[in-house]
Amino acid sequence: MAEGLWTTQVGSLPKSEELLRARSAWARGEISRDELKTLELQATRDWILFQEEIGIDLVVDGEQYRGDMVAYFAEEFSGFVRGGLIRSYGNRYYRKPIAVGPVGRDRPVTLEWWKYAQSLTSRPVKGMLTGPYTIADWSFNEYYDTKEAFVMDLARAVREEAVDLAKAGARFIQIDEPAVSTRPEELPLAARALAVVTEPLHEMGVHTITHICYGEFHRAYPAMLELPVTQIDLEMANSGYDLLELFREHPFTKVLGLGVIDVHSRRVESPEEVEAGVRRALELLPPDRIYVDPDCGLKTRTPEEARAKLRVLVEAVDRVRRDLGIKPSPPR
Amino acid sequence: MLVTVVGSYPRVPHEGREFLLRRATEEHQSGRISDAELRQVQDEVVREVLREQAEVGVELATDGGVRWDDPQTAFAGRLAGVRLDGLVRYFDNNVYFRQPVVEGPLEWRGPVLVEDFIFARRESPVAVKAVLVGPFTLACLSQDLFYGDLRELTLAYARALHSEVVELERAGAGVIQVDEPSLLRSPEQLPLVREALEVVFGGVSATTACCTFFGDASRLGPDLFELPVRFIGLDLVSGPRGWELLEAVPPEKGVALGLVDARNTRLEREEEVAEAIERAVGVIGEERVWVNPSAGLEFLPREKAREKLALLARAAARVRGRGG
Repeated sequence: MAEGLWTTQVGSLPKSEELLRARSAWARGEISRDELKTLELQATRDWILFQEEIGIDLVVDGEQYRGDMVAYFAEEFSGFVRGGLIRSYGNRYYRKPIAVGPVGRDRPVTLEWWKYAQSLTSRPVKGMLTGPYTIADWSFNEYYDTKEAFVMDLARAVREEAVDLAKAGARFIQIDEPAVSTRPEELPLAARALAVVTEPLHEMGVHTITHICYGEFHRAYPAMLELPVTQIDLEMANSGYDLLELFREHPFTKVLGLGVIDVHSRRVESPEEVEAGVRRALELLPPDRIYVDPDCGLKTRTPEEARAKLRVLVEAVDRVRRDLGIKPSPPR
Repeated sequence: MLVTVVGSYPRVPHEGREFLLRRATEEHQSGRISDAELRQVQDEVVREVLREQAEVGVELATDGGVRWDDPQTAFAGRLAGVRLDGLVRYFDNNVYFRQPVVEGPLEWRGPVLVEDFIFARRESPVAVKAVLVGPFTLACLSQDLFYGDLRELTLAYARALHSEVVELERAGAGVIQVDEPSLLRSPEQLPLVREALEVVFGGVSATTACCTFFGDASRLGPDLFELPVRFIGLDLVSGPRGWELLEAVPPEKGVALGLVDARNTRLEREEEVAEAIERAVGVIGEERVWVNPSAGLEFLPREKAREKLALLARAAARVRGRGG
């Protein structure tokens, strides 16, 4: 019997109002780190149990303890200081980190969180890391003379974290590189840095994933197939699955992470439209080379919207599986 | 020589000061304060940004675009025929804009930026220029569901911009600039950009400028100076090979040189910036040189934006002190 069409997540999940208020209170010094952490542990547990309940095959911890995907690692690594506020859009701002010395990892960053999440479920939990190219590209650099030196130091730091996760038992590790799609000319550098991270993982039999978004794919494709990972995860729903057309010209050679939920829209997709998207991908790839997930992390949605969207995702995949006789099975 | 800016300026307050604009914008979005109340808060930020530029030595300032969500939608979003869609990354920056979707014929329905310009001009201690996104870049950053042709869309934006530019000039704008970063990604479209800017600036007697940034302008070659504007902006940080073009500046044109990095916090050395200015002045003379950061300053924290401008102004003063 065929298998595949595993359901998963890109990474972040929404924080509850209570957790958001606690984070602000902690930032203002009104509650302790331990008080905040108690809530983060509870929120992580809630999301793991929800994913298990609805039938997500490869789950995530939901990043309830992270803010910005780059600033989180920069604040945990050595060599960075917190920068001032930068506006990303409209009335939204983030603190862009500044590298002021050699960057590196003094201690594990996400390891304890991964172990905790995995202890709560029998399903595999993805290790979730931000890639070296993206951390460098989304930080200011006051220390390194070249971007390459900056990126390669970060690659070594991320590699240490990734190897720790693999040693602890993580069989799926995602290293997000959303910045690579914006400068195709720097793709070789991004690939070289990613190889530093994924080489030891592949030797340990880990399924590696990178997530790429918000870019001009027509400029980065098919060159992005040179990224040294098992799976490339792409947003599809918010561009009407246009990217699949690129695969007709240059076959997609990796395992595909198929984004079927628009994370920027409040509207909950219908199972029919998600099903149609999955079937379009099946015209080009066999089911055992497809993982189905939202376009991106769901943290910008409300918890209710995210739960509704994820239920639709699972329902649509179940329909296709039943129709094609694909048995539910653990992801490989 | 003029010390100027490319356009945007951080609306974030200095460290330790209350972020009134952020709160007012939230309150406005949730309907708790009126348009007029939000505008008052924005007015105060514009005054502060104008004062700050003048204090550090900028001689031709902007209002920093602090009222806008992003520069594209500030203009295109107000035209008939345009709907605003999801967020798209702004070039290779970790910054986003709402993508304009062109669904029907573009139509200018009345002045968009004139009121803001008049306010800035009245409040600024120094001269103020009006800055708009150019027609080609607007076309490239839009999704076209109507014209089906890049040239048609570019020229339609150019006609709308022309109507705005005429109003800006009538309102007293002595310097009007359009930004065309997309040209650096499609150098083969230079003839189209030239044609479109002829439409935008036809019959205009203000000093005109076209800034390019986020890339290397040298690929365009000396033909770049055929653009029908008085000043052409080069980002010499992203594209240091742009220096090669300096020898080719025709006598009736000037250049706006992007000399300090608007996208990294590392401060340049003042002496090196002064040497760069001196080099440019040596080639084409002081009259035809503007100096500015490599792009809009909103990519930097507020403190760094101010420091970079101050450094640039000090470097320019050193060159003037040497007698050019």
